[in-house]
Amino acid sequence: MKSIIIGQYIPGKGLFYRLDPRTKIIAVLLIMISVFLLETIEQLLIGLATAIVLLLIGKISILKVIKGLKPIMILLIFTFIFQIILNREGETIVSQQMYFTGYTLLLLILAFIVWRILNKLVKYRFTLFFLFAAGVFLILSYVDFGPKIAEPFTFNIYRAGLEMSFFVVVRLLIIITLSTVLTLTTKPTDLTQGLEKLMHPMKKIGFDSESFALIISISLRYIPTIFDEANKIMLAQASRGADFSEGKLKDKLRQVISLLVPMFIIAFMRSEELANAMESRNFVPGEKRTRINELYFSHRDIIATIFSFLILALAIVLKVM
Amino acid sequence: MSYIEIKNLTFSYNEKTNVLEDVNLEINKGEWIAVLGHNGSGKSTLAKTLVGLLEPQKGEISIDGLVMNDEFAYEIRKKIGIVFQNPDNQFVGVTVRDDIAFGMENLCVPREEMLEKISFYAEKVNMLNFLDSEPANLSGGQKQRVAIAGILAMQSDIIIFDEATSMLDPFSREELIKYIKTLHQDGLTIIMITHDINEALLADRILVMNKGKVYAFEDTEEIMKKKSIFTDSHLELPVSLDLANALTDNQEYKEIREKLWEYALMK
Ligand SMILES: Nc1ncnc2c1ncn2[C@@H]1O[C@H](COP(=O)(O)OP(=O)(O)OP(=O)(O)O)[C@@H](O)[C@H]1O
Ligand SMILES: [Mg+2]
Repeated sequence: MKSIIIGQYIPGKGLFYRLDPRTKIIAVLLIMISVFLLETIEQLLIGLATAIVLLLIGKISILKVIKGLKPIMILLIFTFIFQIILNREGETIVSQQMYFTGYTLLLLILAFIVWRILNKLVKYRFTLFFLFAAGVFLILSYVDFGPKIAEPFTFNIYRAGLEMSFFVVVRLLIIITLSTVLTLTTKPTDLTQGLEKLMHPMKKIGFDSESFALIISISLRYIPTIFDEANKIMLAQASRGADFSEGKLKDKLRQVISLLVPMFIIAFMRSEELANAMESRNFVPGEKRTRINELYFSHRDIIATIFSFLILALAIVLKVM
Repeated sequence: MSYIEIKNLTFSYNEKTNVLEDVNLEINKGEWIAVLGHNGSGKSTLAKTLVGLLEPQKGEISIDGLVMNDEFAYEIRKKIGIVFQNPDNQFVGVTVRDDIAFGMENLCVPREEMLEKISFYAEKVNMLNFLDSEPANLSGGQKQRVAIAGILAMQSDIIIFDEATSMLDPFSREELIKYIKTLHQDGLTIIMITHDINEALLADRILVMNKGKVYAFEDTEEIMKKKSIFTDSHLELPVSLDLANALTDNQEYKEIREKLWEYALMK
């Protein structure tokens, strides 16, 4: 439990590591807005290409970014499928007669079982999922014999549906790539400090960004400690016969509660002691403090900021034209 | 006038029972005081009133001539630091550097000066090579040393240790004691709360607390001769001193007695 990686930060040396976190946050925001302004497929593709070029410039491995995409891959696939099925505007591009017979049903069940079994054995789950989806499509299209269960129907893909699904997916891809670049190259502490500085003007409306940042950084500092503790409690309970992996939902729930209660109690005591330690070291909430970690705006940051404003300007010009 | 003066101090958490009752103490600059007492005798509470974390119902605390009240609590805390029992619950920074800086940041020390002091005091507690380390990768003893560096960097000259060694393994414990000895040699005032009587023997004077009252406060060698003080407070003397005390009356055992004392104090 010694080295829990918080966030996605990976130490490195590329261009993006040397930028001030504020620059990176602003740039990501500006480019995100620009992406939402783009209207044609060509523009979007250029956008995607730019994002990839940025990755190359920053010497960030595209593989790592793709890994970062994994959790939202399902979301992307579903948006894609929903757009294709539900959007019925424009000319039809694909029109496929589909059948549903006894054999179809049998084959579908078989395909499903094979997919689930392979899924447990093979590494390439996404490829497998695509193969499964393609298989379903083929079965529905070509198995036209056997006892009929439902009337044949036509499956249409419309131009607007295809375009829209493409739009949504590429936009999401660009945005996620950008935010991954941000989190890959910026330490969580720098990120919070950047946010703190950027949100400083909100003091006027009563938002204390410094306390906010302090809370975040203390939480970050305590995540490994709390993980460690959860581990210890689980071991202690396991040594008294608790089993965290087996059992019905009800048992599981009881085990989770038996973990959470001591964790909450310990966290309360911890926070009390931490507050004492902070106060004894002259911490006064909301008072002015100097900082050991200063952020520096260099010429690089100025160039990067100008560059992202240019992208936004370009997107606006394209939108207006 | 003594460096630390406590007069008629009375404190209670719930207004019913007094956790501290009429405590009177005078501690000189540069002294090393050990505080002994059974669980719940009020040792930690005393420590917290000393750094102004708790406000007593009655009585007065003054440190270096400053009387503890809302106005001066901030000034007094600059002079006095406290290292708590659990190394994890006092490590505020994300890294060692950040943690040593925390107190100085609160005092608005300029960044350049902070960096200098961090190197200087990290060196002093032998943590210079760990400035970028995160607390999850440090041992308990290392974290306690970082806490000391943070206090020293604030230019405090009184340090309270509230059972600071009790969660450490024997080796780290001995090491931490070594650092406390150097602090004492450097002229800092040390108040060490402990349950370990061998640790207490290192102090100049020992304070024994019993049910919120000062039961005894005497020179270490003197107090060790009075076995009843310890038995009354549910404390046990080291065997060697027990033996030495048992031999007291007899002139011919003088030499053995001295040897036994030497042995106890060497620990
Ligand atoms: N936050 C609190 N609220 C109410 N009562 C408290 C609180 N902290 C301590 N007490 C009570 O005050 C008494 C003295 O506690 P204190 O922690 O000062 O003792 P101690 O001498 O440090 O004991 P130990 O050796 O266990 O650390 C105890 O009876 C304890 O239950
Ligand atoms: Mg205590």
